[in-house]
Amino acid sequence: MNPLLNQFLSESRDFSEDIGAKLMQLENAPDDQTIIDELFRLVHTLKGNSGLFTFPEMTRVLHAGEDLLGMVRNGQLAYSRQLADRLLDGIDLVMVMCGDIESTGKIDLSRTQGSADMVESLRDLLPSVRDLAGLGGAVEAGVSGSPSTGAAIVHVKVPPLAEIPEATRMDAFRRSHGGESLNWITYTPARECFFQGDDPFYLVRQVPGILWGSTQPLERLPTLAELDTYSCVLEFHLLTTALPEELSEHFRYVPDQVSIVQVDPIWLVIPLGRIEGGPAHHAFTAKALGYLEKNNLDTLRDYTTKSLKTEIAGSWQVSALRWLLVLLESRPDQRAALRLLIQSFDGAKTPDWTASNRDDEAQAKASATQFESGIKRGDECRKGERQSLSDTPSPDLEEQAIARETILETQRQILQLVDHPAWETGRIRAVAAVLRNLWMSAGNGQASSEIDAAISASLAVRENAPLLKWLEENKKGMVGLLPQPGATSLRDGNSTSGPAETATTVGPSSARPAGDEAIKFGRRAEDAVNGQRSVKVDQAKIDRLMNLIGELVVEKNALPYLALRAETQYGVRELSREIKAQYSVINRIADEMQDAIMQVRMMSVSFVFQRFPRLVRDISRKLGKEVQLVLEGEQTEADKNIIESLADPLIHIVRNSLDHGLETPDVRRASGKPETGTLTIRAAQEADRVVIEISDDGKGIDPTVIKRKAYEKGLIDEAALERIDDQEAVNLIFAAGLSTAAVVSDLSGRGVGMDVVRSAVEKMNGTVMVNSEVGKGTKIRISLPLSMAVTQVMIVESDQQLFGIPLDHVIETVRVAKTAIRFIKKSMTAVLRGRVVPLKGINGLLGISARAKVNEDDEFAVLLVQVGGEVLGLVVDSFRETIGVIQKPLNGFLSGLSAYSGSALMGDGSVLMILNIRELV
Amino acid sequence: MPIEFTTDQVIFRDVASVEEAEALLEWLQKTSNSTVDLAACTHLHTANLQVLMAARPAITSWPENIELRAWLEVALKPELGESLDGNDDSRSR
Repeated sequence: MNPLLNQFLSESRDFSEDIGAKLMQLENAPDDQTIIDELFRLVHTLKGNSGLFTFPEMTRVLHAGEDLLGMVRNGQLAYSRQLADRLLDGIDLVMVMCGDIESTGKIDLSRTQGSADMVESLRDLLPSVRDLAGLGGAVEAGVSGSPSTGAAIVHVKVPPLAEIPEATRMDAFRRSHGGESLNWITYTPARECFFQGDDPFYLVRQVPGILWGSTQPLERLPTLAELDTYSCVLEFHLLTTALPEELSEHFRYVPDQVSIVQVDPIWLVIPLGRIEGGPAHHAFTAKALGYLEKNNLDTLRDYTTKSLKTEIAGSWQVSALRWLLVLLESRPDQRAALRLLIQSFDGAKTPDWTASNRDDEAQAKASATQFESGIKRGDECRKGERQSLSDTPSPDLEEQAIARETILETQRQILQLVDHPAWETGRIRAVAAVLRNLWMSAGNGQASSEIDAAISASLAVRENAPLLKWLEENKKGMVGLLPQPGATSLRDGNSTSGPAETATTVGPSSARPAGDEAIKFGRRAEDAVNGQRSVKVDQAKIDRLMNLIGELVVEKNALPYLALRAETQYGVRELSREIKAQYSVINRIADEMQDAIMQVRMMSVSFVFQRFPRLVRDISRKLGKEVQLVLEGEQTEADKNIIESLADPLIHIVRNSLDHGLETPDVRRASGKPETGTLTIRAAQEADRVVIEISDDGKGIDPTVIKRKAYEKGLIDEAALERIDDQEAVNLIFAAGLSTAAVVSDLSGRGVGMDVVRSAVEKMNGTVMVNSEVGKGTKIRISLPLSMAVTQVMIVESDQQLFGIPLDHVIETVRVAKTAIRFIKKSMTAVLRGRVVPLKGINGLLGISARAKVNEDDEFAVLLVQVGGEVLGLVVDSFRETIGVIQKPLNGFLSGLSAYSGSALMGDGSVLMILNIRELV
Repeated sequence: MPIEFTTDQVIFRDVASVEEAEALLEWLQKTSNSTVDLAACTHLHTANLQVLMAARPAITSWPENIELRAWLEVALKPELGESLDGNDDSRSR
């Protein structure tokens, strides 16, 4: 992986953490402009960085987020929890993608859809008008399939399917009947795409499920002399059976150059050919319609087949009859379509039949519902448009003017339609809604009442005339409002297409550039200004330093032995003294060096803490609880390994607190507590340990419930049930397999949580304690060493072997007279400081056959150790010094020996085995 | 070379890349009545395709690759554009 990408990934991680943290801050102070600015800058930079590589999915998500934050920053959009939710989800997705890149070098293909959905959901929050002309939606059955273009203008129309040969169309029609989806793709490569290394032709050849494709010049192809080889002037049309998701994935690098329209199979029914006249056709239509009415489909089929033979080959009618047969064969249920096709047979005399047929069918399918919904959409539009107009008054006036003109013209055409379908009323209302919005957007609210009057007049007579009249009268006024009324003539050329072909958006096009314009600050160079002066180092390098200093410490410890030998063995006292002097210098430097390297490895607990605001927020909202998180002592430092291994146990504990500890607002209110629960996570350094306390003011742990559960699960026996006190009962939550939750949720209840916490903490030589008071809350206290690197061990001797025992376990060393040892059953015990202590011989525990030695006073050497809250006496031969060692885990075959936790090198080069007391006894 | 020029014929082999397009265009500009042999061609870059579409030379052999042939036939057939004949039962894919 190249270094640039590496840096990008590590930076992205930092950025996204920052973004999450900033969003959290914003939650508490939604109006803080500096946080919003900072947030915007972060997302903006991250987006810019991602653009350096080809990760379109990632860039698009970030771009959408940036747009959204841009709006928030400019005050066009208010901060909301929903907004924060989606942005956080977006950042999560980006992180997932980073993970993909890290592991496989590219973004997993399955993310494409997630990315598109994410962009969609982010864009949803933009105050945009997705589809201004409610009526324009009449053919919206064909939806744009490139979701990534989001709010870009979507111009949907029936694709020019007539280009496709009839046989292919029939094939496609039958396939769609067989359940396959049909999609029409128009791919218009950017002119300069060759310079970006694209080969559009190759791309289209790879499209899955191609049924048909063609290559067309964008305009007229230039002559050979004028042709520029390096400018792409082609456009590709394809009909495929691939799903829109597959297609948007295939074209994921060029989503802006591709439009995907889902093809209604009925659109494929386009009879083509020479038009032959004749009275026979009229008779056919009448007769065929008759059969259809009587539901005599078989007769109709036979009749059609017979007619087909009499028609002239290559004529329009032959084609129409063939289609009729196909329809009868595969879609006999589509009466409307069949009727229209038969009716058109007679109407084939009209040369523009194809066009109107297509629209009629589309309209027949879609309009009944679309017109009604047009009213609703109109309302949405009104909101969106008002927003865009009031917030960004100037940028695209001309575009707006054209849009308005087009809308007006469309409405006029609709009103001029002479048919009186069942949905006439809905249509009038829809037109009225559009007009009202249009006038409103132009700042003329009074027109609304006039329109209302015109509508009621229209509705009263079920006739368009009054509304049309009003429109004609006021159109001038409206156009007068426009800055350049004559800039574009009305597109009369389109008029035959009726309402179907106009789908124009005003909102996004005028609103978004404003956001983009304002981004011109916060360039890369300035990004680093308030950054810390720090170096990023691979952890492996630090670990290596750590190992080296460990070896140095060990080697250094060999010098006193050498000095001793120089004196005793060779009798050179002078040399011995000099070696000792050198040793003290090396010793000092090595100690300092060790300290310095430890410092490098030190991290503040905020590394772990910073994820909690998000975690607490997510979980508490999922559970419907109100929780305030208080973090204290975030600057407390400890070794990197310690901090990192803290993360999982802490998450478990916090989850538990949220799920089991803190109550829902209702319950809290009922028990007289504030509705918002408080969860405090506090870190502090105590001597050479770091202590972390997690406390909540929830319902606490009920010892009786725990006891009963533990008994049910067989963790304690009946005697213990009676015997153990409340504190011991509470400690049972750390036992494996205990869960008090009635049901297993995705948060907790599997009975592994606290057990895992304890073992994780103990692995780091830490301890965990729990205090709980029913009704008041729970406090869990974790204590960990500052560093795991150097372990203090006490060396003991037994049967002439040396063993190390971690000093954490050691309470004291005592001498016990042989006579003071009593046997209870077969176990040795002794009374020490007023209590009975069981004694165990280390030889016996390790399977050494020798007996423990006594000193000249006939006393045993006993090391009192603490194991899991119990005190135990280990009988050894003799005590040695305590030293700091760098413990190495046992590898290979030895790793199976649980009696030892590791080994360490002593100064004289011998190996010291460190006992794992917990496993041993 | 993926493209070989003879006196009046250009022969495509394997994959014709974007670099070939300039030479192809020059050659077609100065060679009248040129013909094109695409038999051994497996792919040609869009730039080459649009040069051929603009020049419309006679095609002596179509590609052996059926899928490519179908594309090129639609793009390079002389009557393209004028004919919307629905009865033209030309090959479907």
